[in-house]
Amino acid sequence: MRDVAIIGVGAHPTGRFMDKPLKALAYPAIWGALDDAGVKVTDVNVAYVGNSLGGLLTGQEGVRGQVVLQHSGITGIPIVNVENACASAMTALRGAWLEVASGAADVALAVGVEKMNVGNNARTISALSGVSELDLSELGMQFTTSYAIHPKINLKSRMQEYGWTAADFAKPAVKNSYNGSLNPLAQHRKPLTIEEVVQSRVIVDPLTLLMCSSISDGAAAAVVCSADIATRFSSKMPIKIASCVLQSGVYRLPHDDRPDSATTSAYAAYEKAGIGPEDLDAIELHDAMAPSELMLYERLGLCSPGEGPKLIDEHVTTLDGRLPVNPSGGLCSRGHPVGATGLLQICELVWQMRGEAGKRQIEKRPKVTLAQNQGGLLLGQDSAVYGCTILKS
Amino acid sequence: MKILNPDNLRVSTEPGATPCLLGNRCQQCGTIVFPKMPVCPSCHRNGAMEEVEIGRTGRLYSHTIAHFAPKGFIAPSFQAFIDLPEGPRVFSLIGSKYPVERGVLEDGMEMRLIVEPLADTPEHRDELTYKYVPASKANGAKA
Repeated sequence: MRDVAIIGVGAHPTGRFMDKPLKALAYPAIWGALDDAGVKVTDVNVAYVGNSLGGLLTGQEGVRGQVVLQHSGITGIPIVNVENACASAMTALRGAWLEVASGAADVALAVGVEKMNVGNNARTISALSGVSELDLSELGMQFTTSYAIHPKINLKSRMQEYGWTAADFAKPAVKNSYNGSLNPLAQHRKPLTIEEVVQSRVIVDPLTLLMCSSISDGAAAAVVCSADIATRFSSKMPIKIASCVLQSGVYRLPHDDRPDSATTSAYAAYEKAGIGPEDLDAIELHDAMAPSELMLYERLGLCSPGEGPKLIDEHVTTLDGRLPVNPSGGLCSRGHPVGATGLLQICELVWQMRGEAGKRQIEKRPKVTLAQNQGGLLLGQDSAVYGCTILKS
Repeated sequence: MKILNPDNLRVSTEPGATPCLLGNRCQQCGTIVFPKMPVCPSCHRNGAMEEVEIGRTGRLYSHTIAHFAPKGFIAPSFQAFIDLPEGPRVFSLIGSKYPVERGVLEDGMEMRLIVEPLADTPEHRDELTYKYVPASKANGAKA
């Protein structure tokens, strides 16, 4: 396998853009990445386009990638459509990485795009329910419910087990809202207080509105190429993909004590990159519900079970900390256009590693970073998709 | 009225019969799964699964109250996972006679299976499915 570098990234701001179809959202992200990389449309050998809900919500059931890319002037090359729920964009990046790592392509493009605001939130919520297996969603199971009480996540039981309080649950949302307030691309830019988060209306007990990521439109893209030709296109520092791991959930009966898949995918990524959690300088992770960030600290090996809130209390994961987590604002503040999120995470890490993150720039420029992305739900009592990417400069 | 998923739920009309879920048991390793699947997820043997009646009773593993609902469903609603004595842990709604309030359910309590319409909405009024309710009659069920 060849070494692969990210040489360009681009993103559309995240938010509510009623008048923009998928292709209009993707265009500035794609050309942002092409221009950033210094590559021409004709340099791109292959493209992977991640999107989750566009079929149901826009009616463009097939060939969304081809539609989106033609609008941006990219035709003729192999274009692969990727649907992997909230991890669609990380899966698209893995496709692009694999094309180049294998030698099949020299330059590949990964795109993630999602249009969730369609003027009818009930439709959007129903479409989102469809990233759970039908046997669950047809019974009216809410995706948010899975974060509250699903066996392998079960934030509610963590309150009882570790004595976590509603204020602890609010801490990641408060931390990330500050980061997001410094991010011009973020959907929600108001710094929040613990009281505001705890007292916002209950969505699925014990999760409140301001602990939940919201309905977002957005897009992101990355250009990857073989590391040995990275400097041919651009004078910017290439960012090496040290590992890009994709796993699916595992069927689990109750009392299954094997490590969960967020852990196994992260440790597979550490192993392939030849590092451990102690080597990381910054993280973007999948805080679809803010308190899940506390649980992911454990799964990524950053702390012992139950110790998550301390990492925020002790300013470890804050923007001024030793290991900032979600400097972009994360899913709750920056926004969660589901099929774009994995690449929005990558964009943020690349900007931070290059020192291009503006007001939210981590003071000591990160050299080793990790993006963790997950999505979907099966009856087998695990999330459906786990992606973990480690970058090195 | 029709059964939403007749492959998963047995509603017998015989006197004294109680409804139950239909799962699969692996004839090689004994693993029981719900819903059915042709390949055992534990030992990966193909074609060794037989149908078994399960889930007449269970234990409440965890529950929450959802304060919004997708189209065709009602909020607030209880959402729950039930541990079945046969092995599987299943997602379930809670019988509609129970007020959707904190304190009505307690994790760990014994539950039993009932059959009722999926939701009292035009979309789902005529679809029968399984739900669980507390096994004891206390807990403030409405008559």
